Amino acid sequence: MKLIKIARRNLWRNKRRTAITSASILFAVFFALIMRSFQLGFYDHMIKNAIESFSGFLQVQHIDYQDDPSLEASFPVNDSLFQLLESVDGIKTVVPRVESFVLASTGNQTKGALIIGIDPVKETELSDPANLIVHYRITKDVLEQLNNEDRVPQSIKEKLDLIAKKSYTNTGTIAMDLDLDEKKDKEILDVIGEISYFPGRYLTKDDDGVLVSDRLSRYLNLTIGDTLILFGQGYHGATAADLYPVRGIITIANPELDNKLIYMNLASAQYFLGFENRVTTLAINLYDNSEKNMLATQNKLNALLTNKTIVVKNWEEFNEVLAQQIEGDSQSGQAFMALLYFIIFFGIIGTVLMMIHERKREFGVLVSIGMRKTRLATILILEMIFMGIIGVVSGTALSLPILWVLHNNPIRLTGDMAQVMEDLGFEAVMPLAWIDMYVFWQGLIVALMVVLSCLFPLRKVFNMKAIDALRA
Amino acid sequence: MKSIFLIILIPITGFLFTVSLQAQNATEIVKRADDKMRGEKSSYSEWKMKIVRPTWERTLSFKNWTKGTDKSLVLVTAPAKEKGQTFLKLDREMWSWNPTISRTIKLPPSMLSQGWMGSDFTNDDLLNQRSIVVDYTHEIIGDETLENRKCYIIELIPKPDAPVVWGKIVFWITKQDDLLMKSEYYDEDEYLVKTELAHNIKNMSGRLIPAQFELIPAEEDNQKTIVEIGNIQFNIPIEDSFFSIQNMKRVR
Repeated sequence: MKLIKIARRNLWRNKRRTAITSASILFAVFFALIMRSFQLGFYDHMIKNAIESFSGFLQVQHIDYQDDPSLEASFPVNDSLFQLLESVDGIKTVVPRVESFVLASTGNQTKGALIIGIDPVKETELSDPANLIVHYRITKDVLEQLNNEDRVPQSIKEKLDLIAKKSYTNTGTIAMDLDLDEKKDKEILDVIGEISYFPGRYLTKDDDGVLVSDRLSRYLNLTIGDTLILFGQGYHGATAADLYPVRGIITIANPELDNKLIYMNLASAQYFLGFENRVTTLAINLYDNSEKNMLATQNKLNALLTNKTIVVKNWEEFNEVLAQQIEGDSQSGQAFMALLYFIIFFGIIGTVLMMIHERKREFGVLVSIGMRKTRLATILILEMIFMGIIGVVSGTALSLPILWVLHNNPIRLTGDMAQVMEDLGFEAVMPLAWIDMYVFWQGLIVALMVVLSCLFPLRKVFNMKAIDALRA
Repeated sequence: MKSIFLIILIPITGFLFTVSLQAQNATEIVKRADDKMRGEKSSYSEWKMKIVRPTWERTLSFKNWTKGTDKSLVLVTAPAKEKGQTFLKLDREMWSWNPTISRTIKLPPSMLSQGWMGSDFTNDDLLNQRSIVVDYTHEIIGDETLENRKCYIIELIPKPDAPVVWGKIVFWITKQDDLLMKSEYYDEDEYLVKTELAHNIKNMSGRLIPAQFELIPAEEDNQKTIVEIGNIQFNIPIEDSFFSIQNMKRVR
């Protein structure tokens, strides 16, 4: 107890020295936390975009589908297969899909497109296209009208460029892009909403129409009610060609998908491709998305399937590209953090060394009046631990509010940066990860560094000769 | 002196003469075999095509009208879902008409190497068949007996500027009746790409011709396409206007 008291008093005796050392630890924790959180948040976001709300965490596929994703590598489905899959614990949804590449055309413009046949009711539990339907579109005409509109204040007119050519599902996002408050500026938003209103609806249960992704619809110059020509090869190489009315435009966060996606009714897709009762995948989402649970459920399902031509794959298997992207980025991020830690580590050692040097005379006096070196060392370790705790706790405390705010209000990139991100196939958002175990790990790593940085000064204390120290 | 000259000269000219005669002969054989199937002036035929794949098979039927060397029209008559599609070939260009989407599509050159209706026949096969006479030099390189018929083996090498895809073609044509029994198609590196076999030789509309053909791609296992003639007529009168984009939509 006495030693703790002495250590505390030592710290308080020279407040500035304590502050400098603690601050270096504080910054170490702060930067490491923010950086890691950005990384993890970005991965979470990618997984949410591409996996949770598109492909599902698990998929049932034909065994050849992974290597050759064609209609030939498909399988027939029936109610008993659905019942079997849905009976397993922890499975949230099982959604049937037919996916194929075709040519989409309006006569003059033609582009390759990915058609996905969906069950409009079930699909709301996974990718939920109903929520992606575009209701507001800021076209050139709309911009002009808004600029001539008296009800829109000049200050907002100047900002309209920010939303030019964009499509929105709700006015809330428009408010966010224009930096408006949804409640306070309700009137202005209502005006913008009224002028930019875009009709369009989700598919009904037996709909014979299609939903077209925003970028694709703009390339093909399509709007609601237009006829879309789809042309391609169906099951067993049969010709697939038909006309479809456009029911709605959907906006998808992932720009790559937004450039090529067409949703249609499962039955329409099956008829179009000559693909009766067959699907290319069954997408599965789970209640618990942790890696451990995902793999356990995957094994359970694979054991249950009696048909050996189909197999359950997890997203890291069927979306190797994303898994590797995350893996690679995570590793380079960790290497960067190691560098950061390295620099901070030497910062801490530097301050500790200086402290020892400053207090050499003090130590000499203590040893010569009979203090054992082990006790002296213990005091030093306690001092370091206190400073470490102050640094780690205050660093975490400082970053938590920032993490919290940026997690709930992700940074939305604009302009060129956004363009670069979108060209790379990412949504131009930089969210932070929610506070989780990684906070603890960053704190622990810094604490370990503090302990390590004690070793050198301790050695100095033990090798110290009282007589030399007194003369210092 | 003179006599020595003659002794040398005569065999040389004789040799040259026989070579050119033989080349002429090979070209003649290929031309006759080609005309035989196509009709010298025009033809109308009904076909059944079976596409065989490792895990499935599919059959479709079509009608084919040809006139001269460069006009051809194909109408798909079965299965129901694909019925009514037509393909028109005029000279070196090709169009397709699809009744469901009411659109004529001009096939771009990039699509020529794709399979026709999902079969092993490429669009290019339909388009370029006639060029076997004009775009290649022909030479008899041996003989062999196939299905009890004595055949010449004729090698076709493309002429330097010919717009063709093959590096070499080898034909087996019967010495009697000029029937093309077998053909092998090689790429530029002389690798075998596909083999076409003729079977079931019988008399149709007064001509002795093979009624069944089998196309086997060399690189794919358990995969082939079989076409069979149901009915064929030669040298029937067809107007030039029959082979038009307008008629693609009308023909039945």
